[in-house]
Amino acid sequence: MNLQVSPTQSASYPPVGQPIAGGLQQAQNRWGMLFVSPFFLLFAIFGLFPLLFSLVLSLSDWNGQGAVNYIGLENLNLILQDRVFWQSMFNGVLIFLLYTPLQLLLSLVLAVVLNSRRVRGFRLFRTIIFMPYITNMVAAGYVFQLLMNSRSGLFNQILAVFSVAPVPWLDTPWAARVSLVILVLWAWLGYHMTIMLAGLQTIPQDLNEAATVDGASPLQIFFRITIPLMRPVILFSLVLSTIGSFNLFTELVSLFPSTAGGGPLNSTITPGLYIFNQGFGNFRFGYASAVAVVYFVLVFLIVLVERRYLGRDNT
Amino acid sequence: MKSSFRVRRWIEDAVLHLLLILIALFMILPFIWMLSTSLKPVSEVFQSPPQLISPNASLDAFRTLFEQKGFARNLGNTLVVATAATVLRLFFCALGGYGFAKFSFRGRGALFAFVLATMVIPFGVTLIPLYYIMLQMRWIDTFWPLIIPGAANAFGIFFMRQYISTLPNELIDAARIDGAREFAIFWRVILPMIAPGLVSLGLIFFMASWNDYLFPLVILKSPSNFTLPLTIRSLVAGGLGRPVYNLQMAGSVISIVPLLIIFLVFQRRFIDGITAGAVKL
Amino acid sequence: MIRLTKQLLVLMVVLLATSVVYGQDAPSGTITLWGWSFDSMEATGLIDAFKAEYPDVNVEIVVYPSGDTYQNLQLACSAGQGAPDVVQLENSHLAGFVALDGCLTDLTEQVEPLLGEFNDYKWLDAERDGKYYAVPWDSGPVVLYYRQDIFEAAGLPSDSETVSELAATWDSYLEVCKTIKEETGHTCFANSRAANDARLYEIALWQQGLGYYNEAGEVTVDSPENVATLEKMGEFWEADVTSEAQPWTDPWYAELGGTGEDSTASLVEASWMGVFLKTWIAADLPGVWGVAYMPAFEEGQVRAANDGGSTLAIPEESDNKDAAWAFIEFMLARPESQITQFAYNDFLPALESTYSDPIFSEPDPFFGDQTPRQIYLDVAGQIPSATVYGPSYSLMNGHVATAIQRYATGEVSAQEALSQAAEDIRRETGLQ
Repeated sequence: MNLQVSPTQSASYPPVGQPIAGGLQQAQNRWGMLFVSPFFLLFAIFGLFPLLFSLVLSLSDWNGQGAVNYIGLENLNLILQDRVFWQSMFNGVLIFLLYTPLQLLLSLVLAVVLNSRRVRGFRLFRTIIFMPYITNMVAAGYVFQLLMNSRSGLFNQILAVFSVAPVPWLDTPWAARVSLVILVLWAWLGYHMTIMLAGLQTIPQDLNEAATVDGASPLQIFFRITIPLMRPVILFSLVLSTIGSFNLFTELVSLFPSTAGGGPLNSTITPGLYIFNQGFGNFRFGYASAVAVVYFVLVFLIVLVERRYLGRDNT
Repeated sequence: MKSSFRVRRWIEDAVLHLLLILIALFMILPFIWMLSTSLKPVSEVFQSPPQLISPNASLDAFRTLFEQKGFARNLGNTLVVATAATVLRLFFCALGGYGFAKFSFRGRGALFAFVLATMVIPFGVTLIPLYYIMLQMRWIDTFWPLIIPGAANAFGIFFMRQYISTLPNELIDAARIDGAREFAIFWRVILPMIAPGLVSLGLIFFMASWNDYLFPLVILKSPSNFTLPLTIRSLVAGGLGRPVYNLQMAGSVISIVPLLIIFLVFQRRFIDGITAGAVKL
Repeated sequence: MIRLTKQLLVLMVVLLATSVVYGQDAPSGTITLWGWSFDSMEATGLIDAFKAEYPDVNVEIVVYPSGDTYQNLQLACSAGQGAPDVVQLENSHLAGFVALDGCLTDLTEQVEPLLGEFNDYKWLDAERDGKYYAVPWDSGPVVLYYRQDIFEAAGLPSDSETVSELAATWDSYLEVCKTIKEETGHTCFANSRAANDARLYEIALWQQGLGYYNEAGEVTVDSPENVATLEKMGEFWEADVTSEAQPWTDPWYAELGGTGEDSTASLVEASWMGVFLKTWIAADLPGVWGVAYMPAFEEGQVRAANDGGSTLAIPEESDNKDAAWAFIEFMLARPESQITQFAYNDFLPALESTYSDPIFSEPDPFFGDQTPRQIYLDVAGQIPSATVYGPSYSLMNGHVATAIQRYATGEVSAQEALSQAAEDIRRETGLQ
């Protein structure tokens, strides 16, 4: 492969990746396809195929054994009447509403505070706040179980010091949801705060300074400058939190083991957990696949709405 | 006037610091409690009022884990799986990312967008068919399902593509001019240049694999094949139904310490990896 | 020379034949066991005794909690691979596996001579179309555990016989509870509203011979009798004599094992609960718990029900069924083995020939030198057949538990709650 071009002329030579005429470029581009093909092979086998398989299974009542028996849209009918599934969607929405605003607000505020350079030990704080992210959720769930124990748990003991009555953290539906939100906040605050920090650092300092000179208060700067410019990052956080709220699984089974993750009165069961239970608990594989499809469609719609509402501006 | 402004600022700073300290304490508290419980004998786990350091504190729980429960095996399993999964994932994502970033071929845009879109799909949707496929391949209760399927990681290829696209083309062109073969270019030129990115992404992959619970739960069946999260959960019931929380917390501590060390050492890289995904979206 | 060779040849043939014959008869190889109660065989030397009798058999025990055992067995049966040679199955979940074609081995031939030796009701879940698929291990006769100290503090008698008379029916038990509450402030027993697991309710159904379905296979979850049973439980909630501790959590253990204000006065549960109290839940309180007969639902009815109890079965996939059967027969069908296990864990053997053993009349110092085992025995003999357990037990139990939670927290009436559960069950199982 000897090109009749000297290296010093490479700056004017069209950069790699741009289509130009000539078999040479095409030969190179074929390499591109070759390079992405292993990825796609795996993706097709273990990503795409199961997805399609899921769609097919969702039209059956297969229980993992014997022949697959197709029942068309009958599963859809069952799903529409399935109280527990809609309860799980409801829980997902509730948890989302409880969790997401708190998470976004806390992580953004913390990021702003840390970024303001008025704080000493920035690195230390960032590290400590990030630490929970590396914990596996089984360990985290069990230790929170110990902490939130209504009789001897540390949380209630601490509250007792301030003469506050013991809270039934894991015992009533609403308390259970709040406790779940606390656990997830603990685990993910560091992550969200970190990406908020990174986003903040792309905002030029002069902007804030100019605004302050013009007489803007910190609060005004926060709402009029920071938040709008942080839109993409906030959106990313939002989408992540949305999917997360509905997909909670490990946290549930380790926080509420006596109800297999469902929580008192099924207050914490999420669609992710429900799909698992139907598939691997009751062995209704066909039904579970149908639930998964319906669930995916619903979540997808929610995410689309979020993107439309908060989507990218042409900044 | 100046001094009152200074005082006010000082109070604001104090409040901010207080807020941060409270939050930091809350973040650390569960870790401290985990450690504290792992050193207690079973009977004191639920003592009221709770004690931080028990007078009977000992390493018995840890000893039991390794001597009676074969915990070293599970630790080893997790290490092997996480390492293999990470290496494979990095390779496929780097190769694929390079292909997307530096080459042009038909359908490239659409294909990439499609991969991105699949990031939204919750795991529960593909769990059951994936399990069945593993069943047919006789891969149940082996480590293969935890290593191979995950290599096609959408986040990873997105990250790598972004990262590689920022690399200057001159080096690649020069190598081509020198007659280097394409794969050699990838191996000798690209990989060294993206080493920092590989480390960042690798850390994320390693951690995700280490902490994974749902998929191993479905795939692994023999206790000696369990990874750490599975083992921790299985520790909860002793003989005759008695729960042994101190063992569980000891197991939890052990599962966290390696990641903690890695995180503290590679903090910068870790965080870079995470932010790159979010900010450059 | 030739004669010698001929003799040697004959000897060799004889030896060969003998070894073939006996070699075939002696079970050999490795058997894998799945379950959570095998410690009663390990700790007591029964496994060693088994190996002494069957030296060519290796025993590998994999301990799974019950939930994992069921899940993994289900997965193995549907995959056609990965099942163990012997598996522990509670009666509650047994019927579900028996209903799965090709999952468990038909043991009718081996079990035929043993049919009359075990508690009758234990065979119900193991049987389908006249064939038997499992062997009973232990029973769960339900009794009333009560705190002698709390009863005394409330001015009530605390010996077993009188307490049995006092709490003869659920109504009179309610009166006892009210007295205890008034006089001492202690709760009578734990019956969580928001996290109810339907256990007590199922006991109450069982003692009346009721259940979740009838002989025709129709769902009876919302039948008038079932609703009345739930409402009877509701009377205890209304009288506010129960505690909210969730079962198998720390507050629940603390209530049973402590002497503080929050300790509870009684517990209606199966005999296996006794050993839990003794060994760890209330190990610090010897001599304080007592055992009496559980209340009858109504005057004149039986004071017996079942909760729990396991069996052992052989999955069809096992390729070492001879050794597996040898194990089951050794451990479950021989009185000595069952008594040895009983002495270790107080799980009442389902094998009735053990009932004449003197161990049953031994006083138990933990229970204040009462003889609870005699009561367990007596109760076991009276347990009626009921339709609580069945092929769809988990599913039904799940919906009914949710219904009870909704009723108990005041959301809906008992009828409404159970009707909804029944509707969901009918829809999901296809039963009427």
